[in-house]
Amino acid sequence: MLELAGLSLDYPGFAARYDLVIPPGALCAVIGPSGGGKTTLLHAIAGFERPTAGTLRFAGADLLPLTPARRPVSILFQDHNLFPHLTAAENVALGLKPSLRLDDSERERVAAALAEVDLAGFAARRPAELSGGQRQRVALARALLRGKPLMLLDEPFGALDPGLRREMIERVDALRREHGLTVLMTLHTPEEAASHADLFALVRDGHVEASGPWARLTASDGPEPVRRFLGI
Amino acid sequence: MTFLNSRMTRIATALSALLLATPSMAQEKPALTVYTYSSFTGKYGPGAKVKAAFEAQCSCTLNWVASDDAGSLVARLKLEGETTKADAVLGLDMNLAAEAKATGLFQPHGQDTTALTLPIAWTDDTFLPFDWGHLAFVYDSTKLAAPPTSLKQLVDDPNGPKLVLQDPRTSAPGLGFLLWMRAVYGDGADTAWTRLKPRIVTFTKGWSEAYGLFLKGEADMVLSYATSPAYHIGVEKKTQYKAAPFSEGHYLHIELAGMTRTTRQPELAKRFLAFTLSDAFQLLIPEGNWMMPAKQAAGGLPASFADVIKPERTLLFTPDEVRTQRRSFIDAWLAAASR
Amino acid sequence: MFRPATLTALAILALAGASLAGLAGAGGNVAALSSLGPYLARLVAGATVQAGLSMLLSILLGTALALALLRRRFPGRNLLLAVLTAAAVAPTIVIVFGVIAIYGRSGLLGDLARAVGAEPPAIYGLQGILIAHVLMNMPLVTRTLLQAFGREPGERRRLASALGFSAADCFRHLDWPVIRREAPALATFVFLLCFTSFAVVLSLGGGPANATLEVAIYEAVRFEADFARAAALAGLQLVLCLGLATALATLAPAVHDEASAERHAARPDILAPCLLRLDCLVLILATAWIAPPLLSIASGVAAVPTLATAEFAWAAATSAAIALGAGLLACLFAVLLASAARGRRLRPRLPDLAAFTMLGLPPFAFVAGLYVLTRNLADPAALGLMLVPLVNALMALPYAYRLLAPPLATNAERHGRLAESLGIAGWTRLRLVEWPALRAPLAAAFAFATALSLGDFGVIALFGGGELTTLPYLLANRLGAYRMDEAGALALVLVLSAGGLAYLTERWSARHA
Repeated sequence: MLELAGLSLDYPGFAARYDLVIPPGALCAVIGPSGGGKTTLLHAIAGFERPTAGTLRFAGADLLPLTPARRPVSILFQDHNLFPHLTAAENVALGLKPSLRLDDSERERVAAALAEVDLAGFAARRPAELSGGQRQRVALARALLRGKPLMLLDEPFGALDPGLRREMIERVDALRREHGLTVLMTLHTPEEAASHADLFALVRDGHVEASGPWARLTASDGPEPVRRFLGI
Repeated sequence: MTFLNSRMTRIATALSALLLATPSMAQEKPALTVYTYSSFTGKYGPGAKVKAAFEAQCSCTLNWVASDDAGSLVARLKLEGETTKADAVLGLDMNLAAEAKATGLFQPHGQDTTALTLPIAWTDDTFLPFDWGHLAFVYDSTKLAAPPTSLKQLVDDPNGPKLVLQDPRTSAPGLGFLLWMRAVYGDGADTAWTRLKPRIVTFTKGWSEAYGLFLKGEADMVLSYATSPAYHIGVEKKTQYKAAPFSEGHYLHIELAGMTRTTRQPELAKRFLAFTLSDAFQLLIPEGNWMMPAKQAAGGLPASFADVIKPERTLLFTPDEVRTQRRSFIDAWLAAASR
Repeated sequence: MFRPATLTALAILALAGASLAGLAGAGGNVAALSSLGPYLARLVAGATVQAGLSMLLSILLGTALALALLRRRFPGRNLLLAVLTAAAVAPTIVIVFGVIAIYGRSGLLGDLARAVGAEPPAIYGLQGILIAHVLMNMPLVTRTLLQAFGREPGERRRLASALGFSAADCFRHLDWPVIRREAPALATFVFLLCFTSFAVVLSLGGGPANATLEVAIYEAVRFEADFARAAALAGLQLVLCLGLATALATLAPAVHDEASAERHAARPDILAPCLLRLDCLVLILATAWIAPPLLSIASGVAAVPTLATAEFAWAAATSAAIALGAGLLACLFAVLLASAARGRRLRPRLPDLAAFTMLGLPPFAFVAGLYVLTRNLADPAALGLMLVPLVNALMALPYAYRLLAPPLATNAERHGRLAESLGIAGWTRLRLVEWPALRAPLAAAFAFATALSLGDFGVIALFGGGELTTLPYLLANRLGAYRMDEAGALALVLVLSAGGLAYLTERWSARHA
């Protein structure tokens, strides 16, 4: 279970205070207008931002004292997930050992992770030689290899074609079921995730204004902010 | 200040000429263009006073065109060739005289040189000396009590004073010292350089850097002019700087003027050359250019020059010797001093 | 085919070639050159070793300093950056006297050494040249790299935090790719500057063993008025310089980058205690290296009142006008040259060669050649008014280009396809796409170029005289007239102006970052 209670961040011109509970193994789609605080929410959970107040717990453990690397979290950005001077395999291997000094069994695990995202034949390619979708799959393979139970995806497929985007969301859904991950994913197009996400969270002006399953949020008696945001 | 005022006037004149767009100026004075080096016309140089004094008697305008040193004067003349605007040139030296003469741009000065107060007899009829000075090593007598009394002592004493010199490839006094060594040692100059080398702090690009390093205490002695101490006495009222007299004699630096063959104002140019030997000009030289006047004025030298050393022997190569042998002297020096 | 970059590059190369050709035609004896062979070979060999060492040290220390400045924020950081710029552009004579004031026999270190009964340091020789050259060249390395690091996407730093990168991993994956990309051109730049250095090499070199080809070229122009030889030597120097530039250019990997909006993200290695100690050490060392020689010129403050003359005011105004004009022109040329990066096709990079040409060309040979070409067109004094800013701009161009070309190349990688697909080109593209990314580097380039022209003396030497009196001209004039105190005051004014300009542009770009 991921619990945010009064998790507050303060910046000049922007203040946020998040309250949110996500059950273990759930896929939560974070939706809302641009600049509303979706990315800040993910960065706060990942440890890139320093909250001024509130609590952040996962599986009962307090995450706030932990550095980003020690948190049980993997994160994928919309872009720049890969280092351009490293091959796909090396980029994945960073998830095991940033020094890239791998033994044989570790090398096998890297190959397996690449195979799991259907990129077995692409290990030696550099990011510049991969398509946008392939690059995000490499990043996904690294996230899986790290074995962190909480996965954060920040508009990870925003730059892809709609068809590819849907395929990637299905892939994430399948992987989280297989590995038992809890997933938070920010999205521009909530409908695409409607059949996969267990719950949706609407973030606006630095607050979680509503959260719940798609059906309930979009019902005719659903919360007003969600209906207004989705235009229904 | 007169220099600045005249400059301001000149700009004002130029501006009003532009504004009024008069096709021809009413009172057109003849103009004489004289090429010189920039420290002659600078704030502390005698240029402004020379201009005022000459204009007072010639009913003409004297225009200085300054290059940064004697070397660039010759370069500029040679680049311009027959099209040069120079009517006269002030500030060549003996090392460049042959090069300048070879341009074929100069004509005889036509002046009487019998009454010059030069340490040597003057016979050249193309260039006219207007000031001179012996090269000498200058030191601070509060720091160096017993300076060497001869070049040989300077060269041979392994515990002798540290020196800062100028590079003979890029500097006139630097070349002067190279010739000085040649004049004293002849073919033994190379080994003399090898003996002297350990005490040479560095060879700078020009006189300014070397003198600056010396004043900052980087060396005990600097190659400069016998007249340098007069500056410290006259302007700074400091008497501790002295030039060391050497028994073998000192190399001579002579500054020259000449008029061009291409001038459109031959009378005026000739008059200017005559003027450079007049009292009015020569009186401005000692404390303006810090050199010895080529034709000492009736009033004698200023008090600051009272103690300037007077070497008994003067050493000098002819311009032609310098021109033909400079390269081989420098090559030998390079080989000796690079070791 | 004829893009602005190609045209600008060709125009510069043509001007350089024409000036040398003009000089060669002005008379002289090239045949005598062959007898100089062994001498020239020794000069080139010595200068290569000296420039190579200067380059290695400048790159190493400049990189360390850039990393330290990248990782640390502290009061006075902007001031340090301004001091760096001032050191890079100060007139060489100021650098020489500054270095002497600290490391000389009677300098600060010498006095300290004597106070504790030790031998004063021996500055004259290769070590003195290296101290001065690193002082003059490390700043540009630092500035360029700092900019390059700043252009990297913030996601990579966040990723580094999330993946638990150690300090060594950060260097390997975040910093090294950037250094590898920028270093070849920077190394060429520094090498050429040191290979053609002149007054510093002679003043601090301690003997004729330390010299450069530039000495021989100066000698040919000033002592022998042998212009053909000067042109031949300048041509030789140019060929050596461009050969090196071409060779080193092959080491630079092509830029491959992706679009990024985000820049502000912390690096994980700022918390590593060993790095904190290293950065402190580097910052202290660099400050100790650069600041004291520059601070030593503060002694000129006593003589500042002597500057209150109309002549000084006139020279300051002339200098400011020339320097500002030259700074703007240099930036314009640099942007034009760097716009080649938009095409991503030119290889071997013609614009790079054009910029490096201006580094390899001895200023006095170039100016003398220009003089030959133009003297029949108009009065030299009037020409000087136009040519001095132009020549200063060309001399400052390599600096401006070094600071502007990499950001433009990155920008082209990031937004080039989008701009092309939207049909945004030429001036509109510059305004809409490139200006936001170029603002900060442009400010830095302008400060560098302007300050450099402010301190330049070489160009004015031949065209000078008349009304064209500048501050460096006055400085040389005062030094030549025994007036060391006044020269010190002028040096102070020059360095303060350069530093002030750099500080203001630094703050301006920080506000608009």
